[in-house]
Amino acid sequence: MISRRDLIKTGMAAGAAISIPSLLRAQTSPSTDQTVRMVIDNLSVFDPVVTTADSTYTHAFAVYDTLFGTDSQFAPHPQMVGKWDVSDDRKTYTFELRDGLGWHDGTPVTATDCVASIRRWGQVAPGGQLLMARVRDISKKDDKTFAIALKEPLGALLNILAFQGPFIMREKDANLSPAEQVTANIGSGPFKFNHALARPGASFTYDRNEKYVPRTEAPDGLAGGKIVKVDRVIWDIGLFADQQTALAALHSGEIDFLLAPPLDLLPVIESDPNLELQVLDKAGSDYLLRMNCLQKPFDNVKARQAMLHLVDQEAMMRAAVGDPKYFRTVTSMFGNETPMSNDENTEWFKKGGDPEKAKQLFKEAGYDGEKVVILQPTDWAAASNASQLLAAELRKIGLNAELAPSDWGGVVARRANKGPVEDGGWSIFITTEPEAILGNVITDVTLPMNGESGWFGWPKNDEYEALRVKWADLETLEERKVLARKMQQIWWDYVPSVLLGQSVAPSARRKTLTGLIGVPAWIPFWNMQKAEA
Amino acid sequence: MAVYILRRSISAIGVMAMVGMFVFLLLRLAPGDPAAMIAGRSATAEMIAGIREQMGLNDPLPVQFIRWVRDLIGGDFGTSIFAGRPVLELISQRLEPTISLSILTMIVSVTVGVSFGVLAAWRAGGLVDRILTAFATVGFSVPVFVVGFFLIYLFAIRTHWLPVQGYQPIDHGFGPWLVHLILPTVTLSVPYIAFIARITRASMLEVLSEDYMRTAAAKGASSYAMLFHHALKNAGAPILTVIGLSFAGLIGGVVITETVFNIPGVGRLVVDAINNRDYPIIQGVLILVSGLYVLINLAVDLSYTLIDPRIRY
Repeated sequence: MISRRDLIKTGMAAGAAISIPSLLRAQTSPSTDQTVRMVIDNLSVFDPVVTTADSTYTHAFAVYDTLFGTDSQFAPHPQMVGKWDVSDDRKTYTFELRDGLGWHDGTPVTATDCVASIRRWGQVAPGGQLLMARVRDISKKDDKTFAIALKEPLGALLNILAFQGPFIMREKDANLSPAEQVTANIGSGPFKFNHALARPGASFTYDRNEKYVPRTEAPDGLAGGKIVKVDRVIWDIGLFADQQTALAALHSGEIDFLLAPPLDLLPVIESDPNLELQVLDKAGSDYLLRMNCLQKPFDNVKARQAMLHLVDQEAMMRAAVGDPKYFRTVTSMFGNETPMSNDENTEWFKKGGDPEKAKQLFKEAGYDGEKVVILQPTDWAAASNASQLLAAELRKIGLNAELAPSDWGGVVARRANKGPVEDGGWSIFITTEPEAILGNVITDVTLPMNGESGWFGWPKNDEYEALRVKWADLETLEERKVLARKMQQIWWDYVPSVLLGQSVAPSARRKTLTGLIGVPAWIPFWNMQKAEA
Repeated sequence: MAVYILRRSISAIGVMAMVGMFVFLLLRLAPGDPAAMIAGRSATAEMIAGIREQMGLNDPLPVQFIRWVRDLIGGDFGTSIFAGRPVLELISQRLEPTISLSILTMIVSVTVGVSFGVLAAWRAGGLVDRILTAFATVGFSVPVFVVGFFLIYLFAIRTHWLPVQGYQPIDHGFGPWLVHLILPTVTLSVPYIAFIARITRASMLEVLSEDYMRTAAAKGASSYAMLFHHALKNAGAPILTVIGLSFAGLIGGVVITETVFNIPGVGRLVVDAINNRDYPIIQGVLILVSGLYVLINLAVDLSYTLIDPRIRY
């Protein structure tokens, strides 16, 4: 029997329990100060020399500064450099750092730091390796000046330094081997990495660098003034693990920005008046399939050409991306949006593909039922779906196609195997490449055709390579466009890759967050501002 | 008792050695390459090879194994391939959220689960029993992420009473700590309440049918005394076993709940490590968790003597 006293006590306890959340609400509600919370990607490597991961570059653009930066049209502009000069024989470039550059530890940036940073980056980055092959000497002239002396002119030198060029680090950090991670996170960039608030697995915090002196030009891509308009950026890496929760956090105002919301949830975002979708990287990425040119059947050019005819880009992109609003077909090896894009030798393209032509070409290639193994990354839905569709299309025209499912970690390990499929090798894998990089012949690893010393798939064509090497010598855009057409002529005859389509990905943000700069693949933290909700 | 503890400790070391060797070999045989993961999607083979060399991954397997065991004996769990920081430091950073969530979950689960089990057994066959048994069946069957997203929708998005996600360390204040753990705790407790309730009900039913219970009733013992003094104590051993194993399981495996609520715990650490092929972290976590299993098992076995004087070691 429950007494009246028990009933009253129970009622009071229930009332207190119900009121607890509201009492504590003030501590959990999103703050309205100038702190921006973003969900971008996971971040586990902090050194942009050790990895090519996009998330590491986003971190690096916040913490470090660069000598030059590319604008939205991919043209190079000075960033840390104040003045620069080139000798009459175009073999010696002299760079003077601008005033006011300082490390986050309070010491000034010197020419010695720049020389060490270029040397470390030059050992691994594709553009850096090209530069170092041409370099006679890189030397400090005085505390603010250094020079790059070349054996022969290098017309693309500023482009190389500007796009995926070196992030400038302190000399003692830059003296580490390129495979050894720099974890100090001391840069001279517009944001300071807050070590005290670093929560591995949860979030990393970046504070405004009060002493940063931005350039006076308007921001444009990765060039111009890096003006910080917020106090702090919190990169919620933990939320990346579950996009559904990240979206819920965006709805509730616990975060301000979600880089890549799941495409099937875009209508939910569109229905929330506080949220907005925005395509930041207008060039987006191109999906492509890479074939193993060392092994049957794709060691035969006819088999590779067959794939070019087989692929129905619209079907592939529907499988991978879904909404046609966010994809289009693409025929140029340099993508749709870059200045190098052209229509040379693209007659193979046919809406819906041409399976009959593909079947005939496989026959001409002498295809004899060899197993075609497609590496299927099951933890990357878009590529996984496209792989399944590709396998089905291959089977339809009589090929012995087999999927090899694994996570992306399994794909990147297996794709290094140059052997036949019976020995753990592979025939095809699907990946993406940002168009901005496709337009940069020097830095893109998928564009060389230098055989076994090159990127996975190992295409080899000396005539093409001779043209590609010329790229770095050219000074003007017009000259490069002419060369691009010649390269593409050979490219689509040889067929090292097959394009599956171009896609752009919308980001979701709260409407109170504005001023985001759209650049390929990376998210600059400067220029953003946050209004009161 | 001392001999028993010593014997169990020696066998525990053997178990952990087997676990260590198994984990080491399994990781090396599994597809994947940490160097390729670090280098990124556009990395060249040359870049990957440089990282492999730097990490010592090109050394023969026996050399890598001996190096790992030697360091482990010296208390060095190694350095994370990705983060470049000591594994023990990374694990210790992640322990607090997982232990907080596990302890709160066990408190809620044991309190509610045992109460439900006792009540269901006491009213066996009646409406209350049927309702609680139905809850136990449903609670055990519904995936935790479904419960989690339902609670997020109801208490975070609709009412804004509680935060959607995140974790606040207890040194930031008890209020924020608790508030961030309410939804994950409730979510994770549902299956454990169901499990503990079912075991408790079954154990209690068995004990309640014993002769000495009828004797106690005939002697006029109160319902409270019969249930909690006589029956529950004698039904305690299997319940305690389940609670012990559940707690050990919680410490090592709250992955889904930690993911849904963005709690940076040990479960998430090991999943990220598996995705990245970060061998030292995976090995370190599994060694610690297996050690914890062994310890909790030992503690449960010893506690039997406290609740049942007939048991002797």
